[in-house]
Amino acid sequence: MLYVLEDTINGILIGSIYGLTALGLTVIFGVLKVINFAHGSLLMVGMYTAYWAVVLTGIHPYLALIIVAPVMYFFGYYLQNIIIKPIFKAEKDVREPITVIIVTTGVWYVLDNLSLLIFGPQYRTLQDNPLRGKMLEFAGMMLSIPKFWGFVIAIVTAAAVYWFFQKTRMGRAIRATSLDRESASLMGINQYRIYNVAFGIGTAIAGIAGVTLVPFYNVFPSVGVLFDIKGFIIVVLGGLGSIGGAILGGIIVGVIESVGPQFMAATWTEAIVYGLFLMVLFVKPSGLFGVKYDW
Amino acid sequence: MTREKLQSLSLVLIGVIAFGLPLLVRSPTYLHILVLLFLYAYLTTSWNLVGGFAGVLPLGHSTFVGIGAYTSTVLALQYGVSPWIGMIIGGGLAVIVGVLIGLPTFKMRGAYFALATIAFAEGIRVMVENIEYLGPFKLNGPRGLQIPPLNTGLANFMFAEKEPYYYIILVMLIAVLALTYFISRSKLGYYLSAGGEEPEAAMALGVNVARCKLIAMAMSSFLTALAGTFWAQFTLFIHPKSVMSLDISFEIAFIALIGGRGSIAGPVLGAIILRPVSDLCRIYFGDKLPGLHLIIFGVLLIVVMIFQPRGLQEPLTKLYNRFLDRFAAQPDRIR
Repeated sequence: MLYVLEDTINGILIGSIYGLTALGLTVIFGVLKVINFAHGSLLMVGMYTAYWAVVLTGIHPYLALIIVAPVMYFFGYYLQNIIIKPIFKAEKDVREPITVIIVTTGVWYVLDNLSLLIFGPQYRTLQDNPLRGKMLEFAGMMLSIPKFWGFVIAIVTAAAVYWFFQKTRMGRAIRATSLDRESASLMGINQYRIYNVAFGIGTAIAGIAGVTLVPFYNVFPSVGVLFDIKGFIIVVLGGLGSIGGAILGGIIVGVIESVGPQFMAATWTEAIVYGLFLMVLFVKPSGLFGVKYDW
Repeated sequence: MTREKLQSLSLVLIGVIAFGLPLLVRSPTYLHILVLLFLYAYLTTSWNLVGGFAGVLPLGHSTFVGIGAYTSTVLALQYGVSPWIGMIIGGGLAVIVGVLIGLPTFKMRGAYFALATIAFAEGIRVMVENIEYLGPFKLNGPRGLQIPPLNTGLANFMFAEKEPYYYIILVMLIAVLALTYFISRSKLGYYLSAGGEEPEAAMALGVNVARCKLIAMAMSSFLTALAGTFWAQFTLFIHPKSVMSLDISFEIAFIALIGGRGSIAGPVLGAIILRPVSDLCRIYFGDKLPGLHLIIFGVLLIVVMIFQPRGLQEPLTKLYNRFLDRFAAQPDRIR
């Protein structure tokens, strides 16, 4: 029984980090109505940025946030501005431009293989970092400390993003654009700038997720692919465009993955996650926690 | 010479070149590349029935490749059934699976459909990886199946040389291109493109869009599964990560999109452009610049989508038509 409890808690911890990796995806979808296939690659870029920030400056792994988040924000901002915007302009009246999905797939392939070219295929881990393998003993259970901090960062990030969208002027402009881009434009909101900002925020969140992963996870060029498909599943489970749903969806997947192996071969849990995903798609495509109209 | 004559002449010329190529290309490496080129042209043309004409973006076609490959291989290894028969059975199975996938997913909107097909394909791959025995059939889980190259010959769909494979896939490609041509000019083809572009308008005119898409899906999955059997017999070794991987699904979609989806020439053009890039990059730069071909794919995809959203077939078709006009208008010049 204690094992199940321990696995559940560990599942919640790692699941909230999955949720954090998917949070940027849901933010971008909520505004641009585009599933960003390159999101895993953005996470990969975030992880490499965090890794090099720590290795080159020798700061504490979590302090790398100060460097990674702004760098990733501008990376996303200009990626959207240079590559994705032209297609939006070409397909003005399509609500869910499928061409954009295709272009983000192209971005995925380019980023993953560029990093393979530049950094090589080897797995990198942070050497002598203060968090590696540290465990916290709590009521007879062993919990990983970097995963615990990841959980805290995920919750704080989600709350901050929620607050930003609800309370700030820019957040309200973004929400207006996501509801109806024509009306928003008529109110004097520059929709393409909003798209840039939203993409930048989504990318910055991917960077934050990268920072939380680096202390206990390997960095390698195709690491994003692992989180890519998982991210799609999580955001659809939670409801595309819903911030809380992304974290909760992540926790669901995390718990299934960590409790499941108590009862079956570990590889089967993956099939269960896909099955759950398809069921949600058929029964309630808006997701478990999503509203019918995005936001 | 009239325009029609010139057109059929150029088609015949392309056919003669295609059939004569093995006489010139003697190196097994380059023949192998050519076989893969035609295989991908075939796969993409089959994909195009759904992804092109029906206007959705399926990203899980590797499932059908896998079903075709596994069905014929299991039947041949365990029961001694000729792969040619297994090919048809695999196609039938793929139709069932394709319709079962299509029934719920065709109701979904653009991106959701793409995600659902990915989930189906990955889910089935994970299951195959976990199953050693499916009833009496030995699938061998993640280790896959190896076909011992003992009895070569046409009846066993197994050859020591590359040439027979070349001609088989070429004939298959021509057949599927002819089929696509007829479908695109049939009622079904018009229904499909109408339903793909304006589903509401098509339904209002009495087109049963869902049924048309299902028929397209059934045909596409059948044809794709045939290629799966060919793949198994060509490589003689299949495992879930090779014949059912997401990479195949994405490469098919890439080829179609760069060549131009929804057109007949697009998939073939796409394969002619992309496959040699991929293989030659791997041969010549594989050690020093790994992943170079995928960077080229990605950049090409982005550039084509921004500047030629209908694919490279559009400018090339224009060029071809101009060529036809020019020589048909001045018949003396061609003689």
